[in-house]
Amino acid sequence: MSSPLDHLDLLEAESIHIFREAATQFRKPVLLYSIGKDSTVLLHLARKAFWPQTPPFPLLHVDTTWKFRDMISFRDRTVKQFGLELLVHTNQDGLERNINPVDHSPSIYTDTMKTVALKQALDKYGFDGAFGGARRDEEASRAKERVFSFRSSGHRWDPRRQRPEMWHILNGRLGKGETARVFPLSNWTERDVWRYLLREKLEVVPLYMAAERPTIERGGQILMLDDDRMPLRPGEVATKRRVRFRTLGCWPLTAAVESSATTIEEVVEETLNARTSERQGRLIDHDEASAMEKKKQEGYF
Amino acid sequence: MSATVQFADLEPQADPVLDIELKDSLRVLTCGSVDDGKSTLIGRMLWDARELYDDQRETLEKTRTVNGQGEILPDFSSLVDGLAAEREQGITIDIAWRYFDMLGRRYIVIDSPGHEQYTRNMASGASHADIAIMLTDARHGMKRQTRRHAAILHLMGVKNVVLAINKMDLAEWSRERFEHISSEFAALTARFGFENAVAIPVSALSGDNVADRSKIMTWYSGPTLVEHLQSVPARVATSQGPYRMPVQMVLRDGKDFRGLAGTVRFGKIRVGDEIVNALSGKHARVNRIATMDGDLSEAQHGKSVVIGLDTDIDVARGDVLCGAKDKKRSKVTTGISANLVWLSETPYDQRAGYLLRTATDLVPIEHLQVTALLDLETLASQPSDYACKMNDIASAEIDLGRPAAVDVFDDIPETGCFMIVDALTGASVAGGTIREVRNGRSRNGEKDNEHVFVLDRALLSVGLCKDLGDDPENAAEFIRRAHEVGALMKAAGIRVKINL
Repeated sequence: MSSPLDHLDLLEAESIHIFREAATQFRKPVLLYSIGKDSTVLLHLARKAFWPQTPPFPLLHVDTTWKFRDMISFRDRTVKQFGLELLVHTNQDGLERNINPVDHSPSIYTDTMKTVALKQALDKYGFDGAFGGARRDEEASRAKERVFSFRSSGHRWDPRRQRPEMWHILNGRLGKGETARVFPLSNWTERDVWRYLLREKLEVVPLYMAAERPTIERGGQILMLDDDRMPLRPGEVATKRRVRFRTLGCWPLTAAVESSATTIEEVVEETLNARTSERQGRLIDHDEASAMEKKKQEGYF
Repeated sequence: MSATVQFADLEPQADPVLDIELKDSLRVLTCGSVDDGKSTLIGRMLWDARELYDDQRETLEKTRTVNGQGEILPDFSSLVDGLAAEREQGITIDIAWRYFDMLGRRYIVIDSPGHEQYTRNMASGASHADIAIMLTDARHGMKRQTRRHAAILHLMGVKNVVLAINKMDLAEWSRERFEHISSEFAALTARFGFENAVAIPVSALSGDNVADRSKIMTWYSGPTLVEHLQSVPARVATSQGPYRMPVQMVLRDGKDFRGLAGTVRFGKIRVGDEIVNALSGKHARVNRIATMDGDLSEAQHGKSVVIGLDTDIDVARGDVLCGAKDKKRSKVTTGISANLVWLSETPYDQRAGYLLRTATDLVPIEHLQVTALLDLETLASQPSDYACKMNDIASAEIDLGRPAAVDVFDDIPETGCFMIVDALTGASVAGGTIREVRNGRSRNGEKDNEHVFVLDRALLSVGLCKDLGDDPENAAEFIRRAHEVGALMKAAGIRVKINL
């Protein structure tokens, strides 16, 4: 006798189904690996979907050169552990122009080092289907996202051109110049991700757990100093605080929260009772109204 | 009289039950227009489920609206706003997905716009739903729109429907009003044979009979909306029956294991069971149900697995595995009669090349004939021998270029549904359900077979398929190329028949 499938079992099965459909329907898929907890779940599901084979596509990391150092070492360890192929892409033009999160506005920086960089990498390798860890519960413009999300040439997302999806049928046939983003975690919520990480005993980047870290306070947010590239402003003092991160990205743009949760269990405990929605921790979203929708139309993931 | 309600007063009393494992999930479609208070109802449910974060709460606190009693309340509908494009237009133009947990169950709310020009969005939303909440304004009662909605829900196989008779506060909480509307609703739903249809008097704004029992409508003794949702069984619990597993792909371990990967779409499978590949009719016994977490002795509906067979019977993507003992196996056919909803802004075009996408198969359509359009107002079928356009619901006869394994939708919805794909643009132009499976060509298909270009094996072997040898995997590629060429020729206006 097998026990009935619970909610997480069904989410897992649905994601596996999506992975397999995309891998057979797209000519050259890739998994966009951003190292965070959602990527960890995404990768785990990909491994399950194609087991006993390894996933039939590489991982792509768009590296802005401003990711936390702990993220990079976690990335390299993970790839080695599971015998995966990793591609790393950085926008060289942006590097040469020294576009960085310290001197430039979050929107210019994100556009150059993330949006443009991602488009460059997809074009360079000719990927036609890219798996991402976006979820519909993340914010309003994503609530309407499809599982297979189509981009016209230039990677533009046009809400009116999205395909209706019915039943379990996923249609990945591409029109001329089209590529697709694929979201196997569409129906997961932040709580599901945490619960699943716990259930499957998955390792996450240590930054998710609280530790004494060098920090400053800026604009009401706590930022961690991961290296010495960000000069302090007058009055700012580097202070050791017990902090952890709810979301991971480029360190000057990722706010920490004070916390004493040092195990995943404790983090889940705190998170499940949290009163602030996840994207609050990402500074780029506060830049302008309807920020995400606009970024998406321009090709941000 | 006017009163300002403090936020603290509105806090639901019960503590969130966050640490309890969710046992199952229910997909709830909400249909109705902005005027019926649909966004307010969804916002209210999120609020009552304590699903709001502080930043959302802050946003909500900035909004105010006034109810029938002159009380000032937060505007719950502001929680459910969508894309900037539609906020500007003040309408919902697409389906949105929202999630909340309540009493051990995950609710997936599929928010579908109600305006009648959005039949396609509602139909696509309904295809995912376990239950549909239809909203109506108590002052207006059943509308044309309610009838349209019931018809679409029926066609898409939704078995559970609720009529939320909203804005009871604006209808003096009238029992007579409720009873009048609910008897109309009973007459409508009887016609469609829903398994479970109830009407509930609510006020989304004040929360009466949403999660909390109304203190005013004491004459109503039925369930609150949330109580009713709690009582509806999840899909997984109700899909007992013959085994179906559409094969997605073949996975190998590099040694001798050749596994068939797929999701069990109906029934269950055990190690030792005899299965049959519906398309080839070949039998084999299951000797392994493999997953990365270890082998299983059985797998039930909903589970994604890799199945090993005791004999190699040549199974590939698009095949459907059935239980050999089950009397009802998937039907192998080239002819289907179907109901479909046209989704694309581009109307049906007789010259275009179309493909039929089933659970995992993609089959060329040789001939598609629209035979009737359904009038959603009168629910009468109007014979029609020409086009169907966006939002039309049509009956159609479809001839396939090669046999496919399918089921009748009423028997097994999971393998009785399909989408139609435009071969050139790749767009999903229609979604449909299989009414019956037919032997042989449709009459119009026969007529069409005069004056057609015959694309045969010899023609393709010379050039396009020269590189393909004789082994079975190449045979599939040969067929695939033949049908791709056929679809392109058809799109270019050439009538073509594939004869391999």
